[in-house]
Amino acid sequence: MLKDLLSYHQPPISAHERRVTRLALFVEDVFKAPLFHCQRCGECILSSTAFICSQNCPKRLRNGPCGGTGADGSCEVYPEKKCVWYRIYLRSKTLHRVSLLFKTNKIHNWNLEKTSAWLNVFKKRIDPPIWFVRRDQEKVKEIIRVGPQRKD
Amino acid sequence: MALKEKIDSKQLILCGEISPPQSCDGDVIREKARYFKGLVDAVNITDNQTAIARLSSIASAKILLDEGVEPIMQMTCRDRNRLAMQSDLLGAAALGLRNLLCVTGDYPTFGDQPEAKGVFDLDSIQLIAAASHMNQGLLLSGHEMKKAPDFLIGAAANPCGQPMEMRLIRLHKKIQAGARFIQTQAVFDLELFSRWLQQAVAWGLTEKAVILAGVLPLKSVKAVRHMQQVPGVRIDEGYVHRMQQANDPQEEGVKIAVEIIHALVRMKGVAGIHLMPVMWESITPILLREAGWTTLNQGERP
Repeated sequence: MLKDLLSYHQPPISAHERRVTRLALFVEDVFKAPLFHCQRCGECILSSTAFICSQNCPKRLRNGPCGGTGADGSCEVYPEKKCVWYRIYLRSKTLHRVSLLFKTNKIHNWNLEKTSAWLNVFKKRIDPPIWFVRRDQEKVKEIIRVGPQRKD
Repeated sequence: MALKEKIDSKQLILCGEISPPQSCDGDVIREKARYFKGLVDAVNITDNQTAIARLSSIASAKILLDEGVEPIMQMTCRDRNRLAMQSDLLGAAALGLRNLLCVTGDYPTFGDQPEAKGVFDLDSIQLIAAASHMNQGLLLSGHEMKKAPDFLIGAAANPCGQPMEMRLIRLHKKIQAGARFIQTQAVFDLELFSRWLQQAVAWGLTEKAVILAGVLPLKSVKAVRHMQQVPGVRIDEGYVHRMQQANDPQEEGVKIAVEIIHALVRMKGVAGIHLMPVMWESITPILLREAGWTTLNQGERP
């Protein structure tokens, strides 16, 4: 379904709205910037990436690591750093949230850059966060057993 | 036999690769096409590989098509936003190009114009999904096309990256998004590759898409050093040593490639070979003769 791939037919955010919601963005920033290195993409997927901001990837990938990850899990752009998605995977394992990594995240809506993701959830512009994952390992096993479902 | 039919058949598949020149000389591609014609099933055309501006992959693919070689057009997410991608895909379909390989693309800092902006509007999984929506007649805007393209969509995979499960999750997502064939990064570490492949078979990924293992013939010690710099490639120390000790590095490189091909085609789950003679296209006929490809190619896949 196209609507699972991206949010389309959404009007752009007006300058007026950006002005009046500046405070919300600021409050969100106070929490998220020190905790997650939030990049203010406005379309937060922290809950599906084990609470590590995937937007710290130089390519800003939202669906897993690129092919440049080294054998030691290093980033292709900054080899002295670990790939963001390497860290996301390890923490997903620890927090039992691996099944969420199988979800394909939507194509980014660039209009939402530098807006408050919390407000965007409230206004139903983006999907709400997934807080609790039950029986993660069983879910992963089930996904692997069923295999990839291609529509063709 | 077209690549699409070859995938449905149970025969081994062989793909080549041509990198377009850094000029507008289409004859370079016509000349390189001669090394592959009649020997391989399809030839990849790289899209500004390693972030260096080259003759466009669509134009090169069209030249190949006119030469009677089936092209696989590569498309990276680095250089275009979603509008340009869709319009390029439509243009490619109108020119008669059918095979598409979706990759994320190297970061611009690897190339000779490191100041460039990396676009990455879509990632490779989303590009695959977008292309399969186009196959169903839908643009990303929701617009229904009067005539839909019919792309055979492929994806790349890096078997040597860590952690392996994350790589497989991503492969799973790519196949789910619509990838029908998977080309891997050059394999130089057979043990790591076979572990990855066993996992992919266990996950049922090889039933839904065919895996073409990457083989890169090493030309010189310098090429080895260069390949060690390429993201996602790991060269076994034994091969590095052999290349350094060899009297004729080119001959040794072919020997190593032949050994790797022979080992790969015996593995369960490998549906074919993706040959990447980077800037050494002329070696292809010799390499295939040395490997005895025509005899390997008889019978079914393992």
